Amino acid sequence: MSTIELTGVTRWYGNVVAVNDVTMTIGPGVTGLLGPNGAGKSTLLHMISGFLPPSRGTLTVDGAQAWHNPDIYARLGLIPERDSVYAALTGTEFVRSTAKLHKLPDVGAATARAIEMVEMADAADRRISTYSKGMRQRIKVAAAMVHDPAILLLDEPFNGMDPRQRLQMMDLLDKLGAEGRTILFSSHILEEVERLSGTIQVIVAGRLAASGDFRAIRRLMTSRPHVFAVRSSDDRLLGASLLSRPAVTGVELTGKGLQVRASDYGAFCREIAVLARKHDIRLLELLPSDESLESVFAYLLAS
Amino acid sequence: MSADSALPGGAISARSVIHDRGYRRYDGPRLGRLQIVRALLWHSFRSALGIGRGAKAKILPVIAFVAMSLPALINAVAVNKGNGQIVTYESYLFPLRVIVLTVFVAVQAPELVSRDLRSRVLPLYFSRPMRRGDYPLAKYLAFTAASLLLIELPLVLLYLGTIVSSKSGAIWPNTRGLLAGLAIGLMWAVLVSAIGLALASLTGRRAYATGVVAIFFFLTFILSQIIYQIAGRGPGGPVPGPGKGQFITPAISAGQRLASLISPFNTLQSLTKWFAGVHHIFQPGEGPVPDPGSYAPAYIVMFVALLAASFAILAVRYRKAGVA
Amino acid sequence: MSGIFNGTVASITLRATLGRRRALLFGLPAAILILVTLALKASHPSTADWPSLILGDFGFTVVIPLTALVVGGSVLGAEIDDGSIIHLLATPVRRSSVIMTKFAVATGLTMVFAAGSELVAGLIATGSATKLVMALFAGALVGSLIYNALFIMLSAATTRAIAVGLLYVLVWEGLLGNFVSGVRILSIGHYALGVANAIAHDSSLHAGLSLTTAVVMGAIVTVAALLMAMQRLASFSLRGDAV
Repeated sequence: MSTIELTGVTRWYGNVVAVNDVTMTIGPGVTGLLGPNGAGKSTLLHMISGFLPPSRGTLTVDGAQAWHNPDIYARLGLIPERDSVYAALTGTEFVRSTAKLHKLPDVGAATARAIEMVEMADAADRRISTYSKGMRQRIKVAAAMVHDPAILLLDEPFNGMDPRQRLQMMDLLDKLGAEGRTILFSSHILEEVERLSGTIQVIVAGRLAASGDFRAIRRLMTSRPHVFAVRSSDDRLLGASLLSRPAVTGVELTGKGLQVRASDYGAFCREIAVLARKHDIRLLELLPSDESLESVFAYLLAS
Repeated sequence: MSADSALPGGAISARSVIHDRGYRRYDGPRLGRLQIVRALLWHSFRSALGIGRGAKAKILPVIAFVAMSLPALINAVAVNKGNGQIVTYESYLFPLRVIVLTVFVAVQAPELVSRDLRSRVLPLYFSRPMRRGDYPLAKYLAFTAASLLLIELPLVLLYLGTIVSSKSGAIWPNTRGLLAGLAIGLMWAVLVSAIGLALASLTGRRAYATGVVAIFFFLTFILSQIIYQIAGRGPGGPVPGPGKGQFITPAISAGQRLASLISPFNTLQSLTKWFAGVHHIFQPGEGPVPDPGSYAPAYIVMFVALLAASFAILAVRYRKAGVA
Repeated sequence: MSGIFNGTVASITLRATLGRRRALLFGLPAAILILVTLALKASHPSTADWPSLILGDFGFTVVIPLTALVVGGSVLGAEIDDGSIIHLLATPVRRSSVIMTKFAVATGLTMVFAAGSELVAGLIATGSATKLVMALFAGALVGSLIYNALFIMLSAATTRAIAVGLLYVLVWEGLLGNFVSGVRILSIGHYALGVANAIAHDSSLHAGLSLTTAVVMGAIVTVAALLMAMQRLASFSLRGDAV
């Protein structure tokens, strides 16, 4: 059971503030660090992994500071984003060397177990330079897991992976999280985070925009009105019947069709289909107007 | 509406229709190959001198210019005092030129060619309407121009420093000397930048490119000097001359005259001596590079061979796009 | 395996450094030294003083520093440059151990190539293990050690390590060292020559420093450089992606 605690952590480079007064606690289970590119996710991960000192604030991993403290790596595994591994070594050698550097008592067993865990056993004896991107990612996970760390940090782990590899990695992280480890991974893709983590921390422009359970945040998000643009074979009739539904809060007839405001995204989508069929209206176009990550974040920040 | 904007890997907008945002193809006049080459040339020239980049990129070019100009300033002071000119236009200060150019070329040539190789932008360049050979040509011209500036500017400073304090009668001989020096400087720039770029284009890692260029220039330079010294030692033993490690022998052996072929810099200096008609005089900056005498054709051949080899390397290197 | 030398780091460094074409660059100056010696031996069998020029001036001014520059720049610089050093640093291994191990590997490689070629060339030139040959070999060993300490420190301190190292070898030692005699006391080449001279007492080496000065200054430079390198590596930080 390991905890990462951040209190007022700030990091700036000259005039640019990369991370701005972030306070959060990360506990066991899978936590997703979500945010658009440039939000400061990597910077935060580098600070937590002890490769960047915070300009201000305190950052502790199990009570110990991460910076200038190589001993935390006994409990921490890092999978960096950069695609940089020792290309001249084979997969096995790479994981083995990491095991030796961690001074593990049984290097061979740990290596085999780690490679097995990422399902790289048949490719492990080839040189890393021959691996595909997904394979490199997996061997990096193996090396990060070889010493059985309580904390795992992954920087954009699903970058460049095909869907099958992504599922495999997600299952693996799921399993590790269920074992009680503290897993923190960063991503800018909502769906990845949604699938995987219970808790998310949303970072936008260096600030913590939201934290907590993903579904709760989604519900918070759904409490804002959604706007849809609808075109159909009979706009007026459709508009009138939509207005009778509780999920719809406003309908406007514009020259190009209907603009519908709905408070409940899911309910609206179901009901418009039902209504259209009931009144024999053909739907020509149904577009959510502001379902973008940026606007979601902007909304979260504004609230 | 901002919602339509595509986000980098962001939420999926369920667009099933292509919007007409008024995007139009550009059908107007397009600039041609010449403009592309010119743009690449100008950009590379600026890169070589560190202009238009951060402050760190300017450090080395500035050091190089200052170092190269020092003799001009010292000479101006000496002439002012009435000591006479101590630095010639033709050779300037040979060891200084060698060192400064080695460092400049070794560090800046990779900035021009190795960076592009490393970041794999060559396909981007080659998908433009330019010929394959235009890229190395533009790079070469740019780097030659930059090296030329580095070599000629101090000569101009030397000239100005001399004529400012000189009596009026000395202006024409000085001008003649300057023009000779500028022409010789052009010869230097042409060869040195060709070799530097050719060697640097062999690898995408700047550090190694620097190492290769530096090793080539410096190693051959020192070797040439030493072979010269060894060739000058006859069975009777040499007579120690002024300065460290310099020897005056009554007659210069064939070995000594040919020793400079080993090094591009010494080759250039030999040719310089030959063009300038300078005879075997030891000045502080001359160094043991004698007038080639009847071996001058060998040096011309070497010059051409080095130039041709460098161009060949550059041409072959950029034949394929996506060179890594 | 706590302590100064870490076998795992050493083997990773060796594999990463030698497994590429660029490793040829390590042996290039050395090979040229031997070839030139062979050529001179074939054409000057009688004159006895050219060896000290080739092995002394050429060897010590060019072969040793440039070999050390390329080797010393590769063992640490390349890994920092492409980011693979993270995998080493994300373990409890002591940063001091990493530096010392890489220093040992680099010095070993440089000694093999640079000092080894000095020895071989010396034997070829003089035909037997004369005092001069052994003196130059000793000087080459010392030079390899100190140069590598400096270049490893530069690799840890800046991304332009080879450029700075080049400036040092060419401008500081090469140019200024010939014109300003005070520079000698901070010139690694002269520490090496001082050691060689103490054994061979050959004035054609143009060694400017006594043995004591050379050894003391050399030790100071080496220790200072390594300590600085360790401190820089302990503060190794990753910048977040600017994107």
